[in-house]
Amino acid sequence: MTLIPLAYLVVRTGEAGWTRITEELLTRRVSRLALHTLGLATVVTVGCLLLGVGAAFLVVRTNLPMRRLFAVLAALPLAVPTYIAAFTWVSTVDGFEGFWPAALVLTLCSYPYVFLPVAAALAGSDPAQEEVSRSLGRGGWATFTAVTLRQIRPALTGGGLLVALYVLADFGAVSILRADTFTRAIFIAFDLGFDRTGALVLSLVLVGLTVLILAGETATRRPGRRYASLRGARRSPTRIDLGRWGWPAVGGLTAVALLALGVPAASLARRLAEGVSRPGDWTEVATAAGNSLSLSLAGAALTMLLALPLGLLTARAPGMISTVLERLSYLSHALPGLVIGLSLVFFGINVVYPLYQSTALLALGYAALFLPLATAAVTGAAAQAPPVLEDVARSLGRGPVTVLRTVTLPLTLPGIAAGVALVFLACMKELPATLLLRPTGTDTLATELWTNTSVAAYAAAAPYAALLVGLSSVPTWLLTARTGVLIKENQS
Amino acid sequence: MSYLELRAVAKRYGPVDALTRVDLTVAPGTLTAVLGPSGCGKTTLLRCVAGFEHIDAGSITVDGRTVAGDSTHLAPHRRKVAIVPQESALFPHLSVRDNVAYGLDRATRRTSRVHEVLTLVGLADHGDRMPHQLSGGQQQRIAVARALAPRPALILLDEPFSSLDAALRADLRDDIRAALRADGATAVLVTHDQGEALSVADQVAVMRAGAIVQAATPADIYHHPTDPWTAAFIGDAILLTGQVHDGTLHTPLGAVPIAPPRPGWSAPTTTEVDVMLRPEQIRVGRADEGVPATVETIAFHGHDALITLRLTDAGTITARVFGTTGLPAAGALVGLRVEGTALTWATRMPVPVPTPPEHDRRRPVGPRRDRAEPGVGH
Amino acid sequence: MRAPVRTPLLSLACAGLLLLGATACGGESAPTDDAAPASDKKITLYSGRSESLVKPLLEKFTQQSGITVEVRYAGTAAMATQLLEEGEKSPADAFLAQDAGALGAVAKKGLFAPLPADVVAKVPQTYRASSGQWVGVTARSRVLVYNPDLVPAAQLPASVFDLTGPAWKGKVGVAPTNASFQAFVTAVTVQHGEARAKEFLAGLKANAPQVREGNAPIVEEVDAGKLAVGLVNHYYLGEIAHERGTTPEKMKAKLHFFPNGDTGALVNVAGIGVLKKAAQDPDVRTFVDYLLGPEAQTYFAEKTYEYPVVGGVPAPAYAPALDTLKVPAVDLNELDRLEATINLIKESGLVP
Repeated sequence: MTLIPLAYLVVRTGEAGWTRITEELLTRRVSRLALHTLGLATVVTVGCLLLGVGAAFLVVRTNLPMRRLFAVLAALPLAVPTYIAAFTWVSTVDGFEGFWPAALVLTLCSYPYVFLPVAAALAGSDPAQEEVSRSLGRGGWATFTAVTLRQIRPALTGGGLLVALYVLADFGAVSILRADTFTRAIFIAFDLGFDRTGALVLSLVLVGLTVLILAGETATRRPGRRYASLRGARRSPTRIDLGRWGWPAVGGLTAVALLALGVPAASLARRLAEGVSRPGDWTEVATAAGNSLSLSLAGAALTMLLALPLGLLTARAPGMISTVLERLSYLSHALPGLVIGLSLVFFGINVVYPLYQSTALLALGYAALFLPLATAAVTGAAAQAPPVLEDVARSLGRGPVTVLRTVTLPLTLPGIAAGVALVFLACMKELPATLLLRPTGTDTLATELWTNTSVAAYAAAAPYAALLVGLSSVPTWLLTARTGVLIKENQS
Repeated sequence: MSYLELRAVAKRYGPVDALTRVDLTVAPGTLTAVLGPSGCGKTTLLRCVAGFEHIDAGSITVDGRTVAGDSTHLAPHRRKVAIVPQESALFPHLSVRDNVAYGLDRATRRTSRVHEVLTLVGLADHGDRMPHQLSGGQQQRIAVARALAPRPALILLDEPFSSLDAALRADLRDDIRAALRADGATAVLVTHDQGEALSVADQVAVMRAGAIVQAATPADIYHHPTDPWTAAFIGDAILLTGQVHDGTLHTPLGAVPIAPPRPGWSAPTTTEVDVMLRPEQIRVGRADEGVPATVETIAFHGHDALITLRLTDAGTITARVFGTTGLPAAGALVGLRVEGTALTWATRMPVPVPTPPEHDRRRPVGPRRDRAEPGVGH
Repeated sequence: MRAPVRTPLLSLACAGLLLLGATACGGESAPTDDAAPASDKKITLYSGRSESLVKPLLEKFTQQSGITVEVRYAGTAAMATQLLEEGEKSPADAFLAQDAGALGAVAKKGLFAPLPADVVAKVPQTYRASSGQWVGVTARSRVLVYNPDLVPAAQLPASVFDLTGPAWKGKVGVAPTNASFQAFVTAVTVQHGEARAKEFLAGLKANAPQVREGNAPIVEEVDAGKLAVGLVNHYYLGEIAHERGTTPEKMKAKLHFFPNGDTGALVNVAGIGVLKKAAQDPDVRTFVDYLLGPEAQTYFAEKTYEYPVVGGVPAPAYAPALDTLKVPAVDLNELDRLEATINLIKESGLVP
């Protein structure tokens, strides 16, 4: 299914012929774009890793004051679409555009992709290894780099990969902040004279870059424990006393939260106060909210349905085939929504015409875009239910269906639900593919937001933005709760 | 009647023969240890019996019912064969009580069966705990209780003690043996630990390269191994080369009487033979009595000691000495004498003799085996 | 790739969602018999114009005619791309677009049916396709928006080409990714040749322009005194004034219409084309007539601050009347010659 967009790219660029392709490709512009894109992906990924790991460590491993509040705040930017963040930054800071501002906004919006898995990994990791390291005379920092970072390595690389691909595919921030990346160039090619060929050739280059990043990530992967440990009592790690560093840490996290959440919130509030345009009546807003919820739910459900076999295959039968399949699903994740949308228009018109402009095709588009988010969640969830548990249950006289109901599902559902929540969030925020594929006459919060901002009706747009962020914060909160950092402890 | 019978069971994974031909009979209410080095197919055998693998040939009968055969493959949950895996694999989302009750039907859950088996494994007051609140040994006990609870025809234990430390392992082993016996369960224990197999099992089945080499009582298998490989795999063995002339066996340790023929074993008729002695058959005396040897090292174990001795022209052998006062010093010259009879086999191509698996840290008895070839048998 | 293995699952999922989708979206009931000009009181419109502008008008239309309009909204360029991708199978009956270039691109692919002569006749020749495949609905002029505090009216340039001069270095706001800018560049090519267009873009680029993503931010910044001048469409001032609850006259920013038929005063249109399959649909015809009727024309003039194209409807108050403007002699039909323009803009370095 991931192959639909790729097939589309190949078909359409094939039509253009080699000369046109080489004409488009072999320009200094393409190499400059590639450099910018990779540079942005690198800067944002590094930024997200620093911010995400830092916040996760403070929240999980130290006696930071109000740490549960900060845990929620650190995850909440996930609910803010980059186009809202970028737009609010531009209207707050003069001349806020170009590479570094785009890097800043993207980092602030996507560091939860690192924070969440790393926080979960830190909360679940065995402190014994760290204690051993300390007892062998390694200091706090040396232990952190030598032991802790190794323990959370899968969470780090997984989160980092998502961020890098997110940057490749993001359109909102780079277009509003005018950072020259492939995605922006692709959109401009469409805008400037509906230049499909030019745009699609650039998309192919983007696929190439994605392959590069994936190959890099695969090469650094190490075989490790795939299943959760089933043995032994686990203690929760001891918290580091921040001492007089406590309040500076609070200040740092507050500053990040203010930049990531405060700036958009304040700017939206100002727009709402200044403007006189108003959104349609409340039924219109409610309908858009309802559509957003139901479309995102359908998208998340279909994505998960497709991710389940893929994720289970990856978890249960690791090998060449599952690796290749899993990696393939990442390719369409890094393509801009517009390209995915067009490829499904192509697919809908030529292959499944009855489904064209139906919820089903839009859901399929969401699946093509966000499959890796769900697959990663399924793989993680499957690790919570090692096959040996199912063997034991079978040997105790329980049939496959009962085993699924009483053992596999209870153990994997939380992880699967987290995957659904993550995809749901992504669908809520998605715009370009939604515009192309939605059923005619169906408005969502994101499309209403776009409609209103495109005619400068900012005050009318603000409630949609607020509602979008507000509704998205519910699954975000669920995702935070899942990391285990919100659990109250008996001892201080 | 609890009863397991395997006839000519074979299992292939692609080109690899995991089980070539396995025949095994387990009597009701007994514990059989399947003993073999890593990779010999013992876990595959267990999975075939439990029903997780389809067998390619042969048949498996449990409690008089054919569960796998030519055209039959009974699903795992219909076999009444409960497993206890290597790492206890308790259901992490269920309490200890619910774990134990998992295999029980609704009616039995209301009886005292859960409490009964928890008492058998000595954890009657742990019913409300969650698995992660238990130590490794406790988890293993619960896993056994869980398997016992529905009174299965057969319990399969897959190296259940291998991940525990030595002191804990011995206690747990004995307790679980007692629990199995008290409940009248029939069980098959898979292990690569000879000491474990010999000490707990009613029957030991030695497995090698996908086949059962020998199945017998622990004493029988120790004293009458079917071949030198089994001899060396079961406990410590002194393997020597000897010649038979006129019914007398000549070895580097002098003339030794040949063991009387038994069913399944008879003295070879060739001249050149392989000879097996156990270290406890060697008596160490004064230098002027018996075959001369030099003491190389002494490993003192309290109740006994193991002395490594260098023979003049036949390498080193080990002797186990009981009564550990007045031991010779390293470097001393001593005289050796053999007590009892020797097992002999016609000399064949050298048989790879097993070495202990690397992770087998605690060996019940200490000496190196003579003629051992490192790295073989893995 | 193992694709066949996953296919059954996919179709299963699709089938499942089809059920879901059928109830959620009401399904697509494309007219099965396009030969029969029977009215089904329903049309499907692809709108590249924004919902907040179009929707109230459509509600009025439905009220009067009893014809339901199913609308898809998206950006004009994306919508045109979608139409091109859909081809003959498009569910759309008509395409309401923000600029002539997009209409031209769709017409070029042969997707539009020629409009009836009496419809075409309502619109002045300047503002429709010579082939009759689309007509303009409203007109908009390119202007220079300026802040009188920073640039006194007396110093305003007489021609858009003056903006490449040293006096304007770093002062001019442009939105080169915007379709209207691109139409303007095409117009320069049409009027003065490619060499001149190239020279102009290079001069603009060399003059440190203030590049923005859209017209609205430029107008806002000029109004706030952050920018001196900007190349935009005339109606943005009206939109922003409206958003601030004021009138265009009270805004700080003012509009300068380049005089004497300068290309900088290009008048472009937002227009409509009818897709082939709906050529005979009486409902679509009713709709096109309505758009060119006095009610819709007045609506656009009042609400979007654009120029009506049909005679007898007054222009918005704050802009000079359309017929008083000295419009450059550019045939809008030629604005679909985009590829060359795109390359010019790309080469100029104004866009990535």
